[in-house]
Amino acid sequence: MRRDVQAIILLLLGGAVLRVTWSDAYLNYVREGMRPFLFISAGLLLAFGAMAMVDAIRQLRTPAKVVAVDGLENDDAHDHDDHDHDHGAWSAWLLLLPALAIFLIAPPALGAYSVARETTNAIPPAEAQAPPLPPGDPVEVTLSDFVGRAVWDSGLTLQDRQVRMTGFVTPNPAGGWWLARLSIACCAADAIGTRIQVQGAPILPANTWVTVTGAWTPGGGTMSADAIPILVSSSVDVVPEPRNPYE
Amino acid sequence: MTEPTIPPLRTSARYRPGALEYLALGLIVLVIGQRWLVDLFDIPALQTGATVFVAIMIQATPFLLLGVVLSGAIAAFVPASFWRRVLPKNNALAVPVAGAAGALIPGCECASVPVANGLMARGVTPAAALAFLLSAPAINPIVMVSTFVAFPGEPELVLARFVASLLTAVVMGWLWLRFGKGEWLRIGPRTHLIGSSSFHTFRLTATHDFLHAGGYLVIGAFAAAAINVLVPPAVMNTVAENPFLAIGAMAALAILLSICSEADAFIVASFTEFSSTAKLTFMVIGPMVDLKLISLQAGTFGRAFAVRFAPTTVVIGIAASLIVGWVLLT
Repeated sequence: MRRDVQAIILLLLGGAVLRVTWSDAYLNYVREGMRPFLFISAGLLLAFGAMAMVDAIRQLRTPAKVVAVDGLENDDAHDHDDHDHDHGAWSAWLLLLPALAIFLIAPPALGAYSVARETTNAIPPAEAQAPPLPPGDPVEVTLSDFVGRAVWDSGLTLQDRQVRMTGFVTPNPAGGWWLARLSIACCAADAIGTRIQVQGAPILPANTWVTVTGAWTPGGGTMSADAIPILVSSSVDVVPEPRNPYE
Repeated sequence: MTEPTIPPLRTSARYRPGALEYLALGLIVLVIGQRWLVDLFDIPALQTGATVFVAIMIQATPFLLLGVVLSGAIAAFVPASFWRRVLPKNNALAVPVAGAAGALIPGCECASVPVANGLMARGVTPAAALAFLLSAPAINPIVMVSTFVAFPGEPELVLARFVASLLTAVVMGWLWLRFGKGEWLRIGPRTHLIGSSSFHTFRLTATHDFLHAGGYLVIGAFAAAAINVLVPPAVMNTVAENPFLAIGAMAALAILLSICSEADAFIVASFTEFSSTAKLTFMVIGPMVDLKLISLQAGTFGRAFAVRFAPTTVVIGIAASLIVGWVLLT
């Protein structure tokens, strides 16, 4: 593969990583803790790309040395000629795909489509008995905390409390909609969804971000990974997508 | 010096008329057609696939870069004699030493492929480098801690993971020593990557390894994204209910999902229906064999190597998980 093309691939990929990291779009794909490593990666890719570009320009200026310098990077031409010949050359082209996907499509955070496909909802929490909810009326909780308490704690800690949660609308095929949020352990490939059936709320389109205030009510099932707890809403506000779409 | 001049001329003649021009033209067409592209990706399934694909690439890029920087540093700054000094001369002994060394270096599977390649290129016996390749992503401190966090109250699972992974890595190293053939492995003496200075060598090796391995990572990420969208999660739950199918299913899942070893414990913890031994199988196989790794290994060491190494690792990994699971988890 030509050195100048190599340089452009590295620069495009480095630019793409820099762009998602700079703009917070990286939070659609990975966890916040990755940020410094992504900045370092973007810097390395841009530096390697820039130095390869300098090599390529130098190569153009001194045509006498072309053959010798070219020999440095024509890796496949040498010793492993007989096995898969052009391999290094064509595989590097594929690195354009993620760069182009970021620049041209900018795939959004996962949403209702991913949640609706899941069958389990409530992973058993680490502690059998959750500590009491912090003070506050309503009290801000995460969806997974709410579901953990409602399903595996028989809702004991949620009784007589008003809670407030932020998530997106996922239409329930059986009627109404779920308040949903995805959480990621590492990257969006491992996202796990959490759902809560919302009662007493107007129908909203899928993937609308909302903050819902309400109270837990029994009936969604307990002690089962498939249980979807129920929240009787007292207010539903449409809100902008949070900076970090996952919890 | 006469020989190497021939192939570059040949490749030059083939590539000169246009790689750069085609690239520029392609980019212009894509930028003009951007609106149409965005509309195309408005379908939820395609959009989800694109997000998962980009997510795996973004997550893996820093780790792959760490790996190529390490392999570049090994090539440029660590003299070949160093490895002869630290590793036992006896190859059968070098394998467990290299395997155990994997516990010291925090890296993931994407990083370990170029590092193992760099080690082999520096004269480390392939059996020892392969034991390191398998153990490093599976038993390093970050993975052990994340497993501990993912399974609160089950420290025996952390121990089982460590023992079963190291066992698999060492057995694979010994198997290679006994049955492996050098011709299956493609490790070019990388004379073409020796630059005018140590730093130049470092840069050439790192750039070459990144471009080479990165393309294969793209294939793996693409496959994993496709499976994420195409296989309904309900299918997995049905399988989990059969204890005999479950272990095979967990191994298959580990291969298909291609999750980084730092994160796989959190994923497997969510498969509450499965037995501890089935979960252990997932965590032993995942860091050693998965779609992106098979692709990376095929790209780095050659197809002849990958078609033998990956299936053998799966068999040994399942056997080690069953034995260790039976001893430690029941």
